[in-house]
Amino acid sequence: MNGDVPFYAELACTTAYSFLHGASSPAQMVHRAIELGHKGIGIADRNTVSGVVRAKIAIDQLREQGLLPEGFRQVSGARLVFADGTPDIIAYPATRHGWGRLTRLLSRGNLRADKGDCILKLNDLLKHLDELLLVVLPGASLELLQRLNAASPGNVWLGAVMNRAGRDARMLARAQIVAREAGVPVLALNDALYAAPEDRPLQDVMTAIRLNKTVKEAGRDLLANAERHLKPPQEMLRLFAACPDAMLQVRTFFERITFRLEDLRYEYPHEPVPYGWEAQDWLEHLVIEAAHRRYGPVLPDNVQARIDEEFKLIRACNYPHYFLTVHDLVRYARQCDPPILCQGRGSAANSIVCFLLGVTSVDPAKHKLLFTRFLSDNRGEPPDIDVDFEHERREEVIQYMYRRYGRHRAGIAATVIHYRARSAVREVGKALGLSEDVTSRMSSTVWGSYASTYERDRVVESGFDPDSPDIARLNDFVQRILNLPRHLSQHVGGFVLTQGRLDEMVPIHNAAMEDRTFIEWDKDDIDALGLMKVDVLALGMLTCIAKGYELMRQQGLGDHDLETDLASEDPAVYDMLCKGDSIGVFQVESRAQINMLPRLKPRNLYDLVVQVAIVRPGPIEGDMVHPYLRRRCGEEAVDYPSPAWPHDPNELRELLGNTYGVPLFQEQAMKLAITAAGFSNEDANGLRKAMATFRNAGTIHHYQDKMVEGMVGRGYRRDFAERCYHQIEGFGSYGFPESHAQSFARLVYVSAWMKCHHPAVFACAILNSQPMGFYAPAQLVRDAAEHGVEVRGIDVNASGWDNGLERCDDGTLALRLGFRQIGGFSEDWGRAIESARAAGGAFTSIEDLARRAGLPSRALQLLADADACRSLGQDRRQALWEVRRTPTDELPLFAAARARELGDEPAIALKAMTLGEHVAADYQTHRLSLKAHPMKLLRPFFDAERVMPSIDLRTAKNGAQVRVGGVVLVRQRPGKGNAIFITLEDEAAICNILLWARVFERYRRPVMGARLMIVDGELQRSREGVIHVMGSRVTDRTDLLTRLSELHEPKTTLSRADVFLHPADPRHIAAPRMHTHPRNVRLLPNSRDFH
Amino acid sequence: MKQRGAWRLHALDERALALGLEPGMPLADARARVPDLVDLPHDPEGETALMRRLADSCERFTPMVAIDPPEGLVLDIEGCAHLFGGEGRLAQEAADFIARRGMRVAHARADTPEAALALARFNKGNERDETRAIRRLPLLALRAEPDVLLALRRAGFTSLGDLAELPAAPLAARFGNRLVDALDRLLGRTDSRIIPRRALPPIFAERRFAEPVARVETIMIVLGELLGTVGETLRERHEGGRRFAVRLFRSDGAVRDLAVETGTPVRDAATVLRLIDERIEALSDPLDPGFGFDMIRLAVPQTEALAAEQAGLIGGRSGTHELAALLDRLGARLGPQRFCRLLSQGSHVPERAMQLIPVAGSDAGLWDQAQPGEPPLRPLTLFDPPERIDVLAAVPDGPPRQFRWRKAVHRIVAQEGPERIAPEWWRRPNGHDSNPGLTRDYYRVEDEAGQRFWLFRHGLYERETAQPAWYVHGLFA
Repeated sequence: MNGDVPFYAELACTTAYSFLHGASSPAQMVHRAIELGHKGIGIADRNTVSGVVRAKIAIDQLREQGLLPEGFRQVSGARLVFADGTPDIIAYPATRHGWGRLTRLLSRGNLRADKGDCILKLNDLLKHLDELLLVVLPGASLELLQRLNAASPGNVWLGAVMNRAGRDARMLARAQIVAREAGVPVLALNDALYAAPEDRPLQDVMTAIRLNKTVKEAGRDLLANAERHLKPPQEMLRLFAACPDAMLQVRTFFERITFRLEDLRYEYPHEPVPYGWEAQDWLEHLVIEAAHRRYGPVLPDNVQARIDEEFKLIRACNYPHYFLTVHDLVRYARQCDPPILCQGRGSAANSIVCFLLGVTSVDPAKHKLLFTRFLSDNRGEPPDIDVDFEHERREEVIQYMYRRYGRHRAGIAATVIHYRARSAVREVGKALGLSEDVTSRMSSTVWGSYASTYERDRVVESGFDPDSPDIARLNDFVQRILNLPRHLSQHVGGFVLTQGRLDEMVPIHNAAMEDRTFIEWDKDDIDALGLMKVDVLALGMLTCIAKGYELMRQQGLGDHDLETDLASEDPAVYDMLCKGDSIGVFQVESRAQINMLPRLKPRNLYDLVVQVAIVRPGPIEGDMVHPYLRRRCGEEAVDYPSPAWPHDPNELRELLGNTYGVPLFQEQAMKLAITAAGFSNEDANGLRKAMATFRNAGTIHHYQDKMVEGMVGRGYRRDFAERCYHQIEGFGSYGFPESHAQSFARLVYVSAWMKCHHPAVFACAILNSQPMGFYAPAQLVRDAAEHGVEVRGIDVNASGWDNGLERCDDGTLALRLGFRQIGGFSEDWGRAIESARAAGGAFTSIEDLARRAGLPSRALQLLADADACRSLGQDRRQALWEVRRTPTDELPLFAAARARELGDEPAIALKAMTLGEHVAADYQTHRLSLKAHPMKLLRPFFDAERVMPSIDLRTAKNGAQVRVGGVVLVRQRPGKGNAIFITLEDEAAICNILLWARVFERYRRPVMGARLMIVDGELQRSREGVIHVMGSRVTDRTDLLTRLSELHEPKTTLSRADVFLHPADPRHIAAPRMHTHPRNVRLLPNSRDFH
Repeated sequence: MKQRGAWRLHALDERALALGLEPGMPLADARARVPDLVDLPHDPEGETALMRRLADSCERFTPMVAIDPPEGLVLDIEGCAHLFGGEGRLAQEAADFIARRGMRVAHARADTPEAALALARFNKGNERDETRAIRRLPLLALRAEPDVLLALRRAGFTSLGDLAELPAAPLAARFGNRLVDALDRLLGRTDSRIIPRRALPPIFAERRFAEPVARVETIMIVLGELLGTVGETLRERHEGGRRFAVRLFRSDGAVRDLAVETGTPVRDAATVLRLIDERIEALSDPLDPGFGFDMIRLAVPQTEALAAEQAGLIGGRSGTHELAALLDRLGARLGPQRFCRLLSQGSHVPERAMQLIPVAGSDAGLWDQAQPGEPPLRPLTLFDPPERIDVLAAVPDGPPRQFRWRKAVHRIVAQEGPERIAPEWWRRPNGHDSNPGLTRDYYRVEDEAGQRFWLFRHGLYERETAQPAWYVHGLFA
């Protein structure tokens, strides 16, 4: 060791995981410490260990790259911040046992507090002192030191800092005296809050954000100087010249610590194995039994071989418990009553063991999926099984996990929430004292992130100079803070299970959701430490399918589950999909997918796999979509890119055989790198990791040269090589492996099958599973009606809470809308109506309804307003008039007594409600109308403006100038924002508008504001018959909507939209509450926008 | 206006309305449509204050003025119209009066305040007949709850006329008596009155004169009597006044206001009278009585608790009272802004760590106190600007050994430091980035003669500057 450089390592590093305290990431701290010649680093964040694994990952990476100095070492602990006035104490576990004490101590503090807080008292520490080394920070009293040292002799240090606060020398001298008296050594610290002095402004900004002040206001709450950075050992020695022993103690302290994060030996729970069985044997037993059930007494050779191979690997890696846990989870879901549908997704679909255990529903043997994609011994990483459950019932599964393994052994992984552009602009801007006006304008630049040039232009447009000092400063801080963590939250469903106590491995927190606890490491940390997790995810489509199956059982349409239709070969289903008729179908219902369907023309399950995977950034950015489509329809010869001699010219034939020589899936791109670019397994592994973390780390570029040059060097064309690389980049932003697409394709088929053969069932199920998917109930109902389903309105004598099915006279099924479609109606009311009707037959009057179902007046009003009382002989207007005086919430006796008197009042003749008013009211109450489409009523106005019905577009000539109009359903701006897609709906059809960004900027106001829109443009029809209107002019005709309710009314009605007619009306100073009621404002539901 | 978590538009000008923006729309949505939207924060206090001023100025038409928030004024002109030549002339004059202040006015006359307000707000037609105009008003004029309005609209009613014909019982059964009452008031079926806004301060006294008074001496005598009266009231309430407002009503209608404030609550007539006297003397434009004042009113708008005081046995009062009384008198004569104290400010940079604040109404800020047994952290005297000195000190950041200041050499025998104070980067346009300015290292030093100085090194050696300069910034006592 170099004798000139004193031994020093900072033991009080606060990182950004001490949220809004530390200004540098753990990796930045590690890099800086190494740069300065420190011998190690101690990460001690405020009441958390959430940053320590990040530091370990950084160190591991440096070690892999050969950049880690000999002997550099990390010690991991936490800075204990007390709620009872005790000065901060930094605690480092000396051993694995000590680590367990520390994490239990922190868990205790966490669970005592609400989310995000940790309430610790000195007494807690005194109960968890075992094998913890403590550094008491300056300001401690003699009494505290003596007390701690008595409780844990030899394990206590007094920290001293020399941060140029004016009284340093005095304080150090005093510390020495106190320490001597208490019998503890003094330890040199710098109490670093950031890596380098340049980071001080960022730390100031964070402090200001934390205090909810501007930097200017924060004043003396900020630190006086920039001294809290990591300092070179020589300088530390110089600063502590008056107390050289404090420097020597650093080494002593370091050497006392034997604990390393690698010591966290992980043991999987032993639970799901019956007594007397070994885990592996039990697993094999379960799998073989299932295999015989599926394949008969003699297993096919390839199946047997696969099973054997997988068993071998599972045994070698010692993962049988993991598979058994997942099996247990799935088994639980299936045996619930009614069973919860579930299906594995992701790379688990590559495993025949998972398939036979019922975790996944794709037979990997049949689809030639490779198990090594899922698990291999040289990857040294645990497998990752994700299972989707019905979204409405996932909580049951989660609570089962907690019950089965106990809260002390099961926890959900954390998700580190990083700053996003918007939140960063808002918070930093506020701290810098920019007005809310400026920051909201900066952050509400509606689409995409601030960093892009596009957004830069938007900043200019909003009237700001991006180079002005204030804006430049804001931008600079935003860029710096963007990669830093903001807070911890719970992962959507990643469970970590342990055999021993989980809280001796990692601290546990209370989640915001009731009955949830989570650990403070996220999935990357868990990966890095080799822990295993099971993802319990939620999928809306599973709920929909489960409800659909249940409805089919009730209607005698057969008993189905996800497995029964494995054949997936019904041509009718594919015929439907080829037409692009896929509203509501899983994964292929978006505009882009609907456009792709007629071009790809799926005819079997594998085509659906491709369909699901192709409309993704990977294939699009790799420019693989069009070659694939051309080859598929035979316009282009299928050829396999081949390398130069002496390499095997057919080396890619096997790999790309299924996809006409075009790489589409993530697996193919990876194998391409190995086969064609000559990547080693480690290279490929590195590439895969880089791909996974592409967004955060940006390390993937290291591989660009390697891959492109590797392929060119072996004789591939450069443009093909570059496309392959771009595709991998694209996967980075949204990876989509084939196995994942396989799992999803099953659900595509099942949902399409249901839509094709039982449209009423499908519509009913999907409406009852809302919110999910892409479309609003109005579109789903309309789609059902277009498929010949009779849709019946909500009625108190026919509807239930859920939407339901009724038999028509001709035996077909009709869809009966349920009370759940009424905005603001509660499920309790709906159920009460159901049971009152079941008990006492049909209701005869509103009073009868109110009395028997015990409904409050609010419920009655909603029912009347939804026009649900027709079977009582009252239309909306009469019912509302009646309901208004129906007394509720009264003792039945009084109600009965008054009921007789109710009849005696002067009769009032109400005017009949017009159709337009009914439609408007329907939209206001349940966002759809069965009576008419608003456009149908408004058609005369549109005819007057020579707007053609959308349905006529189908027969119009390509290139024709057209004018279309309708209700705005969706506005989208995908990808780079060059084009804006708008979908308009009229009474008979929908039409798709495409606007270039340039045109959009010109018509920004109507595009953003219109709910009823007229577009002029050119009709474009692709060869597959997909029709678009290339918009050149957009007009906002939302004003026409008021005509609906004004249609036959005297003109004096002043509806709110009257602002357009009378802009100077003083009423436009919003009177409180007048305008806030959403019913008054929103005649049509807002369109769905995906910014 | 922040509502349901989003910034929303509250009010818009004509151009914005023409662009299709609406009150209640989220600001972000509005921006998405009109990126160059100019927006100002909603200022409810400001609006209220403006309405109050308007209402006050309308007292020239009638004493009965009420505000109908957010933007309505009701004037009860019964018995006043003849002064202006009829109701129509009065209304036109009032409307012109307000329009001259740059505001858009809609006005209407009716038998009840509710009807007048409704007509002003909602009557868009040219219907001249009041009854018929009222019947054509939209339901909004009822100012009912949104759900009631919606229900009425759903029932097919659109105007007040539709409701006017209905029997009251069914309406009351469905929508409550409030609606029926509102309807009746609008239709003039029941009488209603406004509550005028000018509520006088709780404590006041006034004197009307049969003959206008013009002499200041007379006025002072009257004021003395009035002060005695209010002092009695204050004593009963165990309060003292912090502010005394005098309003002099001139016989020609002009109004003159005078006010004095005191640092501590007071109810002693002589004290206040002296302050008022000094106030009048210090006036830049003298009290112009014109033809004389016909009424004087004295009000105490601001009071604070003041316990009954027992005269000391020895006589005399405590020192704080003396000081407060002195400051009040000096303040009344020379202006309260002239008497300042140093207030601690939130900055580490010494010259920014304090600010001069008028004594009146300020509380002393908290100053950092030295640790017990240690010398003070900051000197009593601070040089502005700091004075340049030559210093002998070790690089890079050794303490000073000896320095020359104003041609005298001081050898340092004791020092403590450095206290490093970094520049405030946010004060410089690019200060967060590369050039925040220079850091200072402060030392407290003592020379051979026992004199104590506050020195600093300006700039970190090599990191910020090649040759740091030294300054003496202050002297310890």
